[in-house]
Amino acid sequence: MKKILAFALIVLLLGPTLFAAGQAEKKTGYEIVVVPKDASNPWFVRMKVGVDEYAKETGLNVYQRGTAQIDATLQAQLVQDLIAQGVDAICVVPVDLESLEPVLGQARDAGIVVIAHEGADLENVDYDIEAFSNAGYGAFIMDNLAEAMGGEGLYTTMVASLTNGSHNEWANAGVAHQKATYPKMKLLEQEPRVESNDNGDVAYNVAKELFKKYPNLKGVMGTSSYDAPGVARAIQELGLVDKAFTSGTGMPLDNAELLESGVVKSLTLWDPALAGKAMISLAVKVLDGEEITEPVDLGVEGYTNMMFRKGSSTVLEGEGWIVINADNVYDFGF
Amino acid sequence: MDTTRTLLKKLSRRNEPYIFLVLLALCLLIEFRSGQFFSSNNLVDIASALIVPGLFAIGTFLVIISGGIDVSFPALASLSMYATTKYLLDINYQGGVWAAILMALVIGALLGAFNGLFIGYFKLPALIVTLGSSSVFKGIMQGALNSKQLTIIPSGMRNWGTSAIFTARNPVSGLTSRMPVAFIAFVIVLLFVFFILKYTMFGRGIYAIGGSEVSAHRAGFNVVRTKVVMYIMVGMIASLAGVIRACMMQQAHPTNMLGMEMNIIAGVVLGGTAITGGRGTLLGCMLGTLLIVIVENSMILLGIPTSYRSVFTGAMIIIGTGISAYQVMHMNKTHSKRTKSKEAA
Repeated sequence: MKKILAFALIVLLLGPTLFAAGQAEKKTGYEIVVVPKDASNPWFVRMKVGVDEYAKETGLNVYQRGTAQIDATLQAQLVQDLIAQGVDAICVVPVDLESLEPVLGQARDAGIVVIAHEGADLENVDYDIEAFSNAGYGAFIMDNLAEAMGGEGLYTTMVASLTNGSHNEWANAGVAHQKATYPKMKLLEQEPRVESNDNGDVAYNVAKELFKKYPNLKGVMGTSSYDAPGVARAIQELGLVDKAFTSGTGMPLDNAELLESGVVKSLTLWDPALAGKAMISLAVKVLDGEEITEPVDLGVEGYTNMMFRKGSSTVLEGEGWIVINADNVYDFGF
Repeated sequence: MDTTRTLLKKLSRRNEPYIFLVLLALCLLIEFRSGQFFSSNNLVDIASALIVPGLFAIGTFLVIISGGIDVSFPALASLSMYATTKYLLDINYQGGVWAAILMALVIGALLGAFNGLFIGYFKLPALIVTLGSSSVFKGIMQGALNSKQLTIIPSGMRNWGTSAIFTARNPVSGLTSRMPVAFIAFVIVLLFVFFILKYTMFGRGIYAIGGSEVSAHRAGFNVVRTKVVMYIMVGMIASLAGVIRACMMQQAHPTNMLGMEMNIIAGVVLGGTAITGGRGTLLGCMLGTLLIVIVENSMILLGIPTSYRSVFTGAMIIIGTGISAYQVMHMNKTHSKRTKSKEAA
């Protein structure tokens, strides 16, 4: 009995080294930690799903560890603990850029690879991953709207405010994409862009006004996560279901009812699980000493053709947008 | 003949007719620009958009009449609405909307008493107290309740929010708009407050305190009690508005009512309520609020470009309040002439 146990133990210990020897010896030792903004937010619970999946698929020592609540100081402390622990790479979704910057500096001084997500302005990182470029995402929303509208008709765009940077970039890109791809669609000239103030109630009232004043209006391209749901409520109340359409950013569970009842055909988003995988995959590449050159293929859906953001040598942008519709609305857990 | 002339004279000294004329002019302008204003479904839309600001305005009106000012009501309403919704979700409540309204009223009364205690009992300035309590309420929401958007609300609230007294259909465009049942709640509160202000000692006391606290006290009004009770009432009205908002929006959003206070106060003052207290009518207050609501919800119908929207809203507020301020000035002048006293400013 003892002999069998001892043998099993030896196999267990040596096994991985033996099997891995053929492919990539170095991989086995890596300890990579993903630090989200917090542990309880459903968004990051979903990210953990991706991280765990990655660990299962590759057998690497990869895990996610988050603080109980969103707190910049706690996150910085956690990163410091990880430095002391001597992990190989830290993938972080920063709460606050400024308070994290010096800690990430310490991590890099200690020889730890640092990958960030949604922290494009961080300096002390090896790379930062963004799910998509603003232009690409805007075009993607437009594709969804155009599909619902059947590729023709009058539409307008909605942003949180005219001064919001990314929303307006998405909207501009969406309009440009329409002009290039959907010649039968037309931007409402009198009101090419309206504001929702990041408020579902404003989006709802503005949409009601739009449909009253412009009876030919057939679509509204939303950008903030309040736009499309608010517009959808107006479409429903005004009796315009299947006559008017909207698409834009939206969280799945929040809008399950709208999607299932068919008031909204599709919403757009990016999947944190895939972003988590992509971060780790990039960390492994860096640890392996691979040279990171365009286009970067991380082997994760939507992150196979990543390009550096213009003028940046650390920020990589993917095509990691996803469609949410009645079929997959319950798949994400948030 | 003589009676009509005195009536006209009387009316010309009041503020409401002027607000009404401004309102009418605005409506005609919108109708002229869009051809949609007087359509049945648009009027229903306006009425439905009036419910929440209207309730807030009633509360704010009471406070301003009493010589105070309240900037905490959006935070107060958010807190009681959020706490109510969250609790009912936690216990998986399946009943009607009444539990939600009652619970919010109780929380609202407590939070209102908090304001009332400091303003009435400790006699601290209302602006400072409500600025502070506004932060406190927001803090409780973010800290203790760990607030984030609740997109699923109890079924009773959801059904009530979408149930309609009637549905207006525009015969030309075929668009339909719902008149929410919540409108009835608004009308009930309006009538209730009207009755209190007009026919009860408590209501007259609010006016008296706003006119002069010392005189009110000497005339026998219990100033402290009147104030505390009034702030409790205001807290309850604001909380009702909060719950109605959540029901109508089909979600409990902890922050999207914040920031409404300025336009509400502007609407009340626009309606001829003296910001110094003691003078104003509920009718004027409602007209002023209606004006603000119409302005806010008709920018696209008017065809004002998005970038100039806030300029236009601001201009309407200045013009509106300007007219009522001018009226007050004019009234004071004639008054002082008549009494032949020196410069009664």
